[in-house]
Amino acid sequence: MSLELFLFYLASAVAVFATLRTITCLNAAHALLYLISSLLSIAVIFYLIGAPFAATLEVIVYAGAIMVLFVFVIMMLNMGKQTVEQERSWLNPVIWIGPGIICTVLLAELVTLLVQKERLLETVIVTPKEVGISLFGPYLLAVELASMLLLAGLVGAYHLGRPLTQKQPGSIK
Amino acid sequence: MIAIPVEHCLLLSVMLFCLGLLGVLVRRNIIFVLMSMEIMLNAIGLAFVSGGARWGQADGQVMFLLVITLAAAEVAIGLALVLQLYQRYRTLDIETISKMKG
Amino acid sequence: MTAEQLQALLPIIMMASTSVIVMLVVAFIPRHSVISSVTVLGFILTFASLSWTGEVGQGLQVTPLIVVDRFALFYSALLLLASLVITLLSFNYFTKGSGSENQVEPGEFYILLTTATLGAMVLVSSNHFASLFVGMELLGISLYVLVAYLSHYRQGRQGSLEAGLKYLVLSGVASAILLFGIALLYAEFGVLGFGQLGALWSNIGALNGIYAMAGLGLLLAGICFKLSLIPFHMWTPDVYEGAPVMATAYIATISKGAVFVLFLRFFMVSGAFMQEMANNLLILIAIASMLGGNLLALMQSNVSRILAYSSIAHMGYLLVVLLVANTGNVPVSTISESVGFYLVAYIITTLGAFGVMAVRSNMLDTRDTDQVADYKGLFWHSPWLASVLTGMLLSLAGMPLTAGFIAKFYIITMGVEGLKWLLVSTLIIGSAIGLYYYIRIIIVMFMRHDEEPITGKRDRAVSTIDGLVLAALAGVLIWLGVYPGPMIGVIQAAFPG
Repeated sequence: MSLELFLFYLASAVAVFATLRTITCLNAAHALLYLISSLLSIAVIFYLIGAPFAATLEVIVYAGAIMVLFVFVIMMLNMGKQTVEQERSWLNPVIWIGPGIICTVLLAELVTLLVQKERLLETVIVTPKEVGISLFGPYLLAVELASMLLLAGLVGAYHLGRPLTQKQPGSIK
Repeated sequence: MIAIPVEHCLLLSVMLFCLGLLGVLVRRNIIFVLMSMEIMLNAIGLAFVSGGARWGQADGQVMFLLVITLAAAEVAIGLALVLQLYQRYRTLDIETISKMKG
Repeated sequence: MTAEQLQALLPIIMMASTSVIVMLVVAFIPRHSVISSVTVLGFILTFASLSWTGEVGQGLQVTPLIVVDRFALFYSALLLLASLVITLLSFNYFTKGSGSENQVEPGEFYILLTTATLGAMVLVSSNHFASLFVGMELLGISLYVLVAYLSHYRQGRQGSLEAGLKYLVLSGVASAILLFGIALLYAEFGVLGFGQLGALWSNIGALNGIYAMAGLGLLLAGICFKLSLIPFHMWTPDVYEGAPVMATAYIATISKGAVFVLFLRFFMVSGAFMQEMANNLLILIAIASMLGGNLLALMQSNVSRILAYSSIAHMGYLLVVLLVANTGNVPVSTISESVGFYLVAYIITTLGAFGVMAVRSNMLDTRDTDQVADYKGLFWHSPWLASVLTGMLLSLAGMPLTAGFIAKFYIITMGVEGLKWLLVSTLIIGSAIGLYYYIRIIIVMFMRHDEEPITGKRDRAVSTIDGLVLAALAGVLIWLGVYPGPMIGVIQAAFPG
């Protein structure tokens, strides 16, 4: 087994374990840390399969920017010990049964389908330059529309993020 | 030359996707639900990038970039709603607010 | 990009600039009347620009993502007109609350209406998974906020927040499932365009590739969720009930319409409906939606919820047309013609029904005027509104002399020609059940009662704009029902290239 292959399986194991912990963890801040480590191990995988640009974005944008939003909210809500207790009471083992079965069936189905034949991926590195060229070539419109998507998100978050008040200062007449 | 089975990449993304789905279905705390949705989106990103790597195309990474854009916008809206929910009801329990019957 | 391509993109560019301009107006001239007028002007100019796109002929591919053909232009026009109607009706919906302590600031509502419409326009012109994805998310992200728009006013309604969160989580999961399907298809075939996919599929014949099956299945599930077909319908009634009525109208008409048009194009271009698996699944879904939607609607006492379940049934009827396409007995142009007419009739009718509700609602109340009881005796104190609503409900039921009749007639004809007897009989049983709950609302409106309306709601005088808009919708409804020829001609010209 080559080093790369070993690193790939190691990173995969870390990703699955960290994700599992994220969805079972009681404390939101801890769950977030697990989620971030899962994202970082995915970044390693991206690098291994020849996508350095995606790996960088995963670290900077996903693990960096998007997760920071979660950190802000968790800090603002000040979820302390009592929320952990509450989570414990919400998460009794029984509620895992139904969804667990659904997801296991789905997983088993997809896995049996997917492992039938193996194709080795001879890694060709897709450089940031190539990604940039296709971003501003054939995908130009998608980039422009993605900016509109972010605009809609911005306007929406601005509107919804206003505090609950009786009277709005500077209301529209 | 590195050789990684492309099936295994996709297998990993399927696993992460299912874990994310499980999280959405099981957790009652809305923050965890949003985190699980992030896990699902991340799994999609992985599937796109490994598809792109299989075909040696940049398209997979471009789609990954678009997925990240969606994740950012969705989280921004989702967390703004979470803050409102907390201000109004002092809880993050998604079931306290489902008063309407399905 | 050539000048010709830029010209073909003009409507989309206009719509995007409208969003930006409306945003600047909201920031610098925050007066409701100005914002509303600029938005209306933007929609009208964009509509006008549809005729300046130049000769697109059989369809002009602008970058691999967008195709501008008559099909796309026709549906863009339809969606723009529907957005215009919603914008016009929103003005009074928001004005009614002004002057009180906690008024709602409507500025962002208009910005998000324009971005959502931009998303819908991209969807109907999309023949590539990247533009499908971006268009659908642009629509989705805007709608999350529109649904939750009234959520943060203490005196305001709580349903809006619930509906917003529910829609965000469920729709987000559905998008994720759809995207995962696309990702699997991409990993298997290495192409993202519908046309390239169709070419590959026609070469290999039946799909037995494992990724392809899983991918197509997930993709179908995601689309069925967006169209709220049974068994992916759970979100619909709650969101319809909790969202502000204008946002509900938007979801019911433009969002569903655009997604269905995309579905139609995807299936026609890629030939996915030739796949046995997809076809069998869709038959089950169509039957479940036609029966389930109508049966569940019987038990509701809320007009929004009734319309929600009836929309499930209507999407089921539309699906019948797609399934007929599979038999090959009917030319593709006829398929696109009946879908086109049905969508036009459905959008006009639904807009009219929600329009009457909007005119009678006040956004500062804890809910919209949507209980069946709120409509008791409506005919005796505002006969005009009651007649419009009666017309709309009769059209939804498929009564003769309304657009809904011709539309349903089209679908039944298609089903008979395609020899889909099971689907046709289900459709007829479903429509018969549907008749009952539509007529029930109409009877309630004609009941005479002397006391004040139960909730103490007094109808204000209908404003001129609202009156004109509703009159126009009712007029078009009757016109299409009595003399559908010209509209059919327009739809026939809009054939996917």
